[in-house]
Amino acid sequence: MTGLFLLTLRELRARKVVVGLFVVATVVWVALALALQLDVVDGSLAGARLFGQETIEEPFDPDEPLVDAEGNPVLDDDGVPRTRGSDLPFNGDTLLESVVFTAQAFVSGAAYWIGILLALFATGGLIATLTERGYADVILTKPLSRSAVLGGRLLAVMAVMLALVTYLFGAVWLVMSVKTGIWSPRFLLAIPVVFGMFAVVYSVVTLVGVWSGSGPLSLIVTLGLGFVTLVLAIPELPTQIDRTWRPLVVGAYHVLPKFGAVGTTLVPQLATGGDVGALSPLASSLAFGGACYALAFALFSRKDY
Amino acid sequence: MSDLAIHASGLGKTYGGRRPVVALKPLDLEVAPGETFGLLGPNGAGKTTLVKLLLGLVRPSAGEAVLFGRPVAAPEARRVAGYLPEGHRFPPFLTARQTLDLFARMSGVGPTHRRARAEALLERVRLSGAADRPVGTFSKGMLQRLGLAQSLMNRPQIVFLDEPTDGVDPVGRREIRFLIEGLRDDGVTVFLNSHLLSEVELVCTRVAILKDGERIRMGTVDELTRQGRAWRLVTSALPPTTLDALGDALSIDGPTRGGLVRSTATVPDRAALNAALDRLRADGVEVEAVEPARQSLEDLFVEAVSGSPRLDAEAAPSADG
Repeated sequence: MTGLFLLTLRELRARKVVVGLFVVATVVWVALALALQLDVVDGSLAGARLFGQETIEEPFDPDEPLVDAEGNPVLDDDGVPRTRGSDLPFNGDTLLESVVFTAQAFVSGAAYWIGILLALFATGGLIATLTERGYADVILTKPLSRSAVLGGRLLAVMAVMLALVTYLFGAVWLVMSVKTGIWSPRFLLAIPVVFGMFAVVYSVVTLVGVWSGSGPLSLIVTLGLGFVTLVLAIPELPTQIDRTWRPLVVGAYHVLPKFGAVGTTLVPQLATGGDVGALSPLASSLAFGGACYALAFALFSRKDY
Repeated sequence: MSDLAIHASGLGKTYGGRRPVVALKPLDLEVAPGETFGLLGPNGAGKTTLVKLLLGLVRPSAGEAVLFGRPVAAPEARRVAGYLPEGHRFPPFLTARQTLDLFARMSGVGPTHRRARAEALLERVRLSGAADRPVGTFSKGMLQRLGLAQSLMNRPQIVFLDEPTDGVDPVGRREIRFLIEGLRDDGVTVFLNSHLLSEVELVCTRVAILKDGERIRMGTVDELTRQGRAWRLVTSALPPTTLDALGDALSIDGPTRGGLVRSTATVPDRAALNAALDRLRADGVEVEAVEPARQSLEDLFVEAVSGSPRLDAEAAPSADG
C-alpha cells in the first residue's frame, strides 16, 4: 500500500493543479498578512488599512446608534434603530471581531465552493487511471489486495487534500489571530467540515471512476449531482412540484449529500462564531459518502481488468 | 499440485451481458517449474484472457488455477510472479530508476535489494545510460525493456511475458531472447505469449496453440513439429532398382551438395525404417544422415489455426508406431 501511496503522491505532484492550489493558498494568507493593516489599541480596532487605503478612519463603537443630520435615530425596515455596526456582514461583539469573522468567512466560503471544485479537477482522473489497461495490469498483478490498491490511492488523495485545507485555514487563522489578538479556534473546526465534504464529493468520483473507467465522466456525474442537490435544497421545491413526485424529491433530498446546507450554514457559522444548528446535513452527507466508498471498493474488488 | 508452477483445471472465462462471449473454453494446463512455455494463437484466441486468469486480473467463470500451490486470486500467489503486459504504461514523469523502485516496493521488495536489483537489471536491459531520464521520453523499445526489467525486480519464480519483443529492434529482440534463456538457465518458469513464432520456437520447451478460446495443440516443440511417420534421408545416389523395391516408402526430394540425394522415407514405424535402411545399404547406398521429418512451427501454426481438428502431442500418432 505504501508503494501506491507514494506513487499517487508523485502523480499529484506531477499534476501542476495541486501544486497550484498550494500556491493559491499561500497567496491568500500572504496577501491577508500584507494587505490588511490593523491598528489595535487596548484590544479595540483603532483603524484599518486595506492595500494601504484607510477603511476605518477613526475608532468607533459598533453599538453606537446611527443618527441623521437632524440627530434623529436611523431606523431599519422593521423600525429597529440602526447602529454603526449594522452594515458589517458578520457582527461580532466588537468591530475588531467583526473584521476577523468577515475575513474567515470569506476564506472558508471560497475554500468550500471554489476550492473543492478545483481540488476535484486536480484529482478527479486519478481513480479512472487506476483502471486503465496497461496501468491496471502492472499494478493489480502486484501482491496487493484490490482494497489495498484503491485504499492506497484514496489515502494519498485525502492526505494531500487534508494538508491543503489545514495549511490554508491554519495560516489564515494564525495571521488573523496574530494581527488582531483575537484567537478564535472554532474557525479551525471548519477544516474537518470542508475536508469531510471533499471526501463526500470524491466518493462519487471514486464510484463512477471505478465503474466507468472514465475520468471525465466521473467529474461530469459528480458536478451534475452537486447541481441536483442544490436544486433539491430549495425550500419551496416540494410545494411547487406535482404531488406524485413529491416523495421522490423529498426522499432524494434526504439521501443525497447536502452541499448547500453545509456550505451556507455550517461553514460560515463556524467561521463567524455563530450557532451552527443541527449537524444532520453533515452527518447524512458523510453517510452517503461512506456508502459510495463501500460500493466502489466492492466493485473494484470484483471487476475484471 | 503444489510442485507445479501453474496448475489450471477447467479454467474458463465467459464475459457476461446480454450476449455472453466465450473468451476461453474450460481448459486444463500444467506447467512445471523451470519450464519455458509458449502460448500461441491468432488475435482473439484467448491468450491474454488466459494470462489474466492466471494472474488474477480476471475472475474465472469456471475452474480454478494455482501458482506454485497458491490460488491465483490470493495476493500472496503473485508474490512469486512477474508480469510484462502487452501495451504496459508507466507514469511518464517517473525516471526509469524511480519506476523500478516504486513498482518493486509494491511487490514487497526491501529498499536495499531494490537499489541493487534496479542497477543490475538496468544494466541487463541496456538502460543504465537512461536510468535517470523520465519514462515519457523513452522509445517503444526502451519502454519494453524497462517493462521487462520491472517484471523481474522481485526475483520471480515465474514470469509472464506478453509480447516481450513488441516494438523492439532485431538486436534488442535477440538480447531479450538471451535474457529469457538466462531466466530459463536460472530455473525461472517463463510463460511466453508471442506472435513471433521463430522466437517461441527458439526459447520454448513446450507450446500450446489456442484458437477461438480453445486449446487445439499442446506439446513440446519437437513433438508438435515432427511429422508423424516420415524421416528425411541424405544418401548417395539411389539406384532405380532400389527405388522400385521400396515403392511408396521412399520418395526423392532432390539433389544436395556433393552429389548426395535428399529423400523422404514414409514408413509405419521404426522397424520398417530400419528395414528400408538395410535395403539401401544392401544395394550399396551410403547413408549420410537420417532424421525425423519436421515442419516449422510456423507451418504447424498456420495448419492448426486454419481449421485442423484438436490434436495434442499426447494424443498424436507416435513416430514409434
